[in-house]
Amino acid sequence: MTVSARRRRTGLAAWGFALPFTVLFAVFMLVPVASSLYMAFTDMHGADLRTPWAVNFVGFDNFVEALTDPKFQQAAGNTLYFVGVAMPLTLALALLLAVLLNSGLVWFRSVFRVGFYAPVVTSIVAVAVVWRFLLQPDFGLVNSGLGVLGIDGPRWLTDEVWAMPSLIVMATWRNVGYSMVILLAGLQGIPRDVYEASAIDGAGPVRQFRSITVPLLRPTLLFCAVITGIGYLQFFEEPFVMTQGGPLGATNSVAYEVFNQFGFGNYGLSAAMSYILFVAVVVLSYLQFRLLRTEK
Amino acid sequence: MNRTPRLVAAATASTLTLALALTGCGRSDEGGSTAEGSTEITDGPASGTVEVWAMGTEGELLPERAEQFEADNPEVTVNVTPVPWESSTEKINTAIATGEVPDVMQVGTTLVSGFVELGGLAPTPEEIAPEAFFPGAWDTTVVDGTSYGVPWYVESRVLYYRKDLAEKEGLVAPKTWADLTDFAAGLQDAGAEHGIALQTRGNSTALMYLPFYWQAGGEIMDDAGEFTLDNDAQVEALEYYSSFMRDGLAPPVLVEEEKVQNFVDGDLGSFVSGPWERANLLTTAGDDFADSFGVVPLPSDEATASFIGGSNLGVLADAENPDAAWKFVQFATDPATQVDWFEISNDLPAVQESWTDPTLADDDAVAVYEGVLETARSTPAIPTWAEIEHEIDLIIEQVIAGDLSPEDASKQIQDAATSIGTGLD
Repeated sequence: MTVSARRRRTGLAAWGFALPFTVLFAVFMLVPVASSLYMAFTDMHGADLRTPWAVNFVGFDNFVEALTDPKFQQAAGNTLYFVGVAMPLTLALALLLAVLLNSGLVWFRSVFRVGFYAPVVTSIVAVAVVWRFLLQPDFGLVNSGLGVLGIDGPRWLTDEVWAMPSLIVMATWRNVGYSMVILLAGLQGIPRDVYEASAIDGAGPVRQFRSITVPLLRPTLLFCAVITGIGYLQFFEEPFVMTQGGPLGATNSVAYEVFNQFGFGNYGLSAAMSYILFVAVVVLSYLQFRLLRTEK
Repeated sequence: MNRTPRLVAAATASTLTLALALTGCGRSDEGGSTAEGSTEITDGPASGTVEVWAMGTEGELLPERAEQFEADNPEVTVNVTPVPWESSTEKINTAIATGEVPDVMQVGTTLVSGFVELGGLAPTPEEIAPEAFFPGAWDTTVVDGTSYGVPWYVESRVLYYRKDLAEKEGLVAPKTWADLTDFAAGLQDAGAEHGIALQTRGNSTALMYLPFYWQAGGEIMDDAGEFTLDNDAQVEALEYYSSFMRDGLAPPVLVEEEKVQNFVDGDLGSFVSGPWERANLLTTAGDDFADSFGVVPLPSDEATASFIGGSNLGVLADAENPDAAWKFVQFATDPATQVDWFEISNDLPAVQESWTDPTLADDDAVAVYEGVLETARSTPAIPTWAEIEHEIDLIIEQVIAGDLSPEDASKQIQDAATSIGTGLD
């Protein structure tokens, strides 16, 4: 009896400690998740805000409508293009910077660390202002620089071909610092003697990188890939502040389309689009786990 | 043993949810927002408290004007809450959904139908006469035949042009479509890099384009409430609008932020904008610049038309003090109050009579708007308009880029509008 009574008391205490989080999580996460799932299968519109139960179930109609909508298809294509280019680019650049910072440049390490990390914590609004100046076609820094070399730079943000690459570069610049710091920490966790042993066996820097650094860094790389992938699939801020999804829909993303449809009051449709995006996030994360998991 | 109660609780909870879902769901057949018999405004002074929500500059300046109302009605207290424009729609939607509403609120002319659809706004009492206002402004209050609210202030689009450049080439203000093309070309001869600037993409491109469609004789909807967007007027207007970009008279891709600076530098000869642009120009270039530019109405074709925007004042359906609220609205839209309000805020009066006051009539920079406002028109007050406008924005962009012929674009605009629908059932 006494044992079970004590166990019950400990259980109660544990719940007491967990309660604040559990309540917050339930109210601000579970309820919205459940209600958005409910919305995705109904024809809920802006006008139903006062009577959210008085709507019709429409099965998978919203999902069919989303997937057959050319604008959504374009947005999905753009999102894949963005993730497909920006994610490997960000990870490769982050790894390169982390290795460089870890090996040489000891004196300036903290300066560089701050320099590369600053964009991560800077407000997107400030970033947008600066990048719009940089990419301004007539007197922007980028095109002025190209002009010195005799190259006539394109209208970066308003050209159908160049708008997305511009945003990819900008997003990479914004996010590379985060992965770099994590990878740098991972690198510092690799024991020195492994490198020494391999040096004695005659391995050069390239071989060391391929056979020691990358394999031992796998769990860290996996973490960075998953976090970056999830963030990039929800590509929204850059087109929102820089291009409004244009020109001609070339930088419209799934998250932006969800935002637009929600703004138009098409709650059912935009909830369905969000769940399609959610499935994409799950699939991408699963692939990354399969690809980068540590071999047993 | 330990598990049973939790299982029971879980089972109960899910059964409850299911029951709620099954019984609660499904639309009722009755129409959404039917006008309840029109309210009446009583005689005598207002009393009690009037809660007012106003946005942006209006929210900051309105308390000053409300003092007069309080002086006229000693029993009344007016509380003005400024709401930022950016978050206003969500805030008002939430307020309407929960019933925690103010008595009076400022409603952007394009937002009326959305709030009416939610059942948030009260119908306008008959004591308020529509004839007092610019017809285009009154139209923004009417959703499905019933008026909800009263026009408060208006804005419209006109042509800003560099007077010095026009004089250099001996150009006179354009009256017709052909004139405007020649005018833009003439300004370029006088040294401007581009003769005119028209919005080429992004939000509200349609609002810059639609005046040309109206000028060509087009209508967005007919009296029966059907879209009438695929016609010769649409083709002509799209052809005309895009001709400026195609013929090098306007920037093929306009960067909005550079417009004012280019105009001040003399690189841009003219552009279409609203009354707020005057202050922008004078802040950028100094007060002396006022002599270097002129403002004229947009040209005419089959008809004369511009876009009318601004804000209305609406009384909430769940307002606690509707009588005093309507009295406050009457006060704010009184011709004399409107002139005072113009002096405080520079907002153009929605009441036609106010324009005979010397304050407005003798100010050339302002008086030009009176004629424009008489024929200016609004976009339809339907809840789906924002979505339709977004589609039109995207289609115009393709026409300008040369990816879509005006004929196909005209059909696509009609198809997009009919597939989205009016949202009025």
